[in-house]
Amino acid sequence: MSHPLTILWAAPLAGAAVCAFMGARARYAALVFSALFAGLAGALVMTMLANPALSVVNELGPVWAYGISYRLSADSLSVGLIALTAFLNLICVASSWELDVPAGYWSCFLALASALAGVFLARDLFFFYVFWEATLIPMFFIIGLWGSSNRLHAAVKFFLFTFAGSVFMLLALLTLVSAHHRATGVWTWDLAALDASALGTAGPLAFWGLVLGFAVKIPMIPLHTWLPDAHTEAPAAGSVMLAGVMLKMGVYGLLRVALPLFPDLSFSALPILGGLAAFSTIYGALCAMAQTDLKRMIAYSSIAHLGFCLLGVLSRTSQGLVGGTLQLVNHGLTTGALFLMVGFLYERTHKRGLSDFGDLASRAPFLAFFFGFSTLASIGLPGLNGFVGEFMALSGALSVLPILAFAGALGVTLAAAYALPAFQAVFWAPAGPGSVSEKVSDLDLRERAVLWTLSALMLWIGLAPKPWLAFFEPALRGLVR
Amino acid sequence: MTMFPLAPQAALAAGVLGALFLGLLRRPPPLALRALALASIGGAMLLAVGLPADVYVSPILLTDAKTVGWQYLICLGALPLAYWLDGEDDVLSALFLGAVLGMSLLASAANLAMLFIALEFMSLPAYLLVARSRPGDSSLEAAIKYFFAGGVAGALFMLGLALYYADTRSLAASSALSPLGQAGGALMAAAALFKLGAFPLNWWLPDVYEASAPEVSGFLSTAMKSAAVLFLMRLCELAPEAAFIAWLPAIGAITALAGSVMALRQERLQRLFAYSSISNAGLLIIGVGAWAASGRSAEGVSAILFFLGAYAFMSNGTFAFIKYSGLETRSQLKGRGAAMPAAAAAFTILLFALGGIPPTGGFMAKLLLLWRAVDAALLWPAAAGALSALISLAYYLGMTRELWFEKADEPAAFKPGTGAALVVACAAGVVLLGAAPWLMSSISGGLLR
Repeated sequence: MSHPLTILWAAPLAGAAVCAFMGARARYAALVFSALFAGLAGALVMTMLANPALSVVNELGPVWAYGISYRLSADSLSVGLIALTAFLNLICVASSWELDVPAGYWSCFLALASALAGVFLARDLFFFYVFWEATLIPMFFIIGLWGSSNRLHAAVKFFLFTFAGSVFMLLALLTLVSAHHRATGVWTWDLAALDASALGTAGPLAFWGLVLGFAVKIPMIPLHTWLPDAHTEAPAAGSVMLAGVMLKMGVYGLLRVALPLFPDLSFSALPILGGLAAFSTIYGALCAMAQTDLKRMIAYSSIAHLGFCLLGVLSRTSQGLVGGTLQLVNHGLTTGALFLMVGFLYERTHKRGLSDFGDLASRAPFLAFFFGFSTLASIGLPGLNGFVGEFMALSGALSVLPILAFAGALGVTLAAAYALPAFQAVFWAPAGPGSVSEKVSDLDLRERAVLWTLSALMLWIGLAPKPWLAFFEPALRGLVR
Repeated sequence: MTMFPLAPQAALAAGVLGALFLGLLRRPPPLALRALALASIGGAMLLAVGLPADVYVSPILLTDAKTVGWQYLICLGALPLAYWLDGEDDVLSALFLGAVLGMSLLASAANLAMLFIALEFMSLPAYLLVARSRPGDSSLEAAIKYFFAGGVAGALFMLGLALYYADTRSLAASSALSPLGQAGGALMAAAALFKLGAFPLNWWLPDVYEASAPEVSGFLSTAMKSAAVLFLMRLCELAPEAAFIAWLPAIGAITALAGSVMALRQERLQRLFAYSSISNAGLLIIGVGAWAASGRSAEGVSAILFFLGAYAFMSNGTFAFIKYSGLETRSQLKGRGAAMPAAAAAFTILLFALGGIPPTGGFMAKLLLLWRAVDAALLWPAAAGALSALISLAYYLGMTRELWFEKADEPAAFKPGTGAALVVACAAGVVLLGAAPWLMSSISGGLLR
């Protein structure tokens, strides 16, 4: 295995190709390749844990014309997010197992996993951009082909919004590469070699171009309007990948590209970006409070949660960076679990309004247990994973810009104010007229197994966060200001 | 092996005569015309391999790197139409090969007078090609419109040439221009922009592309557009002092945006792709402006060459899909994906490529071109080009949505025609260019070194 990182992203892509030709048996191929991908990612995690000296795995390919070179690298940040991708991808395959879907469904999920792995591995900005955009294509089809009633609108909106951000990112990258060439006479897209000081007065323009591309993806208010539609209309597994991994691309882009290239500009932009992030936590929570659709509520809560991650990361303190990054994983697990459960409800009843259910706790105790557990993790109950990440992110922000941390803390409070009443309405309140609760059967063994896995991880991170924090810390050390 | 410098043109001329000869036979062998056209164009392509570099055949004809590169481009753009020549219309074949011969001569033109001759040589058969491509009045009307537009372009060029010559006493590159010479340069550039369909000289183009048979529109939007781009580039070389060169990026930016915006509301597919081709012409004009602004660099030529090469696959592929499927409007696309999965999937790839989504050749093409613009400090035209790509996504994604996500309005039986293989081949070509962009640059790089 002289190309371990290439194999890592190529394996799911090969799986996507195989699935496309498997017809009715595609789900078995999807399971095999998802397990293979998860195994490879797990092996990489284990290698890194067992051998602390091996903090970075590099893979260099030939240089193409125009300084474009195939350059992959994996540090703990990349590996952690790839492991999250692989894990959630496997969860998605398991949770969609009994859906009546054609082979293309499984192909799309594997292609998406492959492109996401590529985003997290690429260190050449050309390849970074190519993988970044390539994630849109499978998700466009996942929403458009297997989404719910308003999927046509949501699919195109999702694609156009994120592509609009990327266009600015691409222009910023081109400006950067050209300026570097003018200053040094060398064509390169290598992230480590590029020097943004060559940009001179065009620096802020390029920085904000990059930030715009990442902010749409996160999404930061006011660029968030694609998210509620996309997350609500996507099939359950699609929402899991969207919220669980694709939102993380934005924060990852900041960590990997924008902050290292523009260390000073990004710090002086903290009041604006941090302010928007803090505003996102409050605004997202307020919007979530007003929703009557369970899935839409979770979608808005994602905007709020990503605000916490952003606050921590932008503070550039050690605990803020590590906490914000851990919160990326936490959000993937808790929101993933919540979206899956809403999906299970929707499969059974084709409803997902808050008022469509009531008294579910007595009909579906397992569902109630897992939903309650994930809700508590999501609102940051101490002892579960959300608390660790939010606490560290906010304490990081507190040491740099206290006002932002206070605003963020308000967001934490508001999270309880939308999540708990929603839980109460669905699971404890008596069923109202028009309730479809009697159609809901409790989770079966497969569904429970999926949720047990997710819940165990939430508990583990909550009780013993130290190894997780220690895992991410080396990759983020260089960003501490 | 070094070839006679006009060998490709000789192959094409032989094709024209051969087609007319086949028309004399009472019962020409079936598919003879198609075989003849493919052989003649393929032969021209092969013969271009051995062309000598930087040779003046005569004061009016030369071969340089661009001659060779465009010889390939023109033939690549023309091959699909040769594939569709499955009838027995010898005149149509002769007109088609004659137009290709004119384009091929344009690739070799060394001074302004020869440029004009080549321009008329490629245009006159094209008018008749449009008129003859489809039975009915609309194609005749479009051909007359095309003829008048082309006539205006020719007249502008002639007038410009006269003024330019009056100023410089030369038909080739010359230094400092008086206002008279500048006016001449501007008029000649207007002729080239007319041919490219630059805004606001684009009024004839959608009508022509809509009324012609789809495969002819594909030919016009690829081979003819490649020739027109080279026409503009030769003008920039032959009149390097002309003031119009500085205006090209702005004209291109406006054209790119206008084409994309006007395509948004089109319902008829051929008309939509006509506006899409105007938008792409805008990007190419930005590219030519960037190439001229950066001292006519080899990188600039190879970016334009790559764009046109990728576009030859994309545009021919989409028009081939229209021909194959027989669909005319966007609403007819609804729910048709399942009825022709291979061709529809290939068409989807082509749409994504036209929208500039990686990892397709369409993305590489747009990237290289906009990169040249950014590198030449033309940031605003580059941003406008990127914005036009974004706007264009609305209809490319819209068509994908109609094809796959929506249900058919009328569930009537639907039977696509033949030629799916060509659509798939074009999509494969554009994917290959995206996955292995060095293929094109290694072909063109050897030439441009």
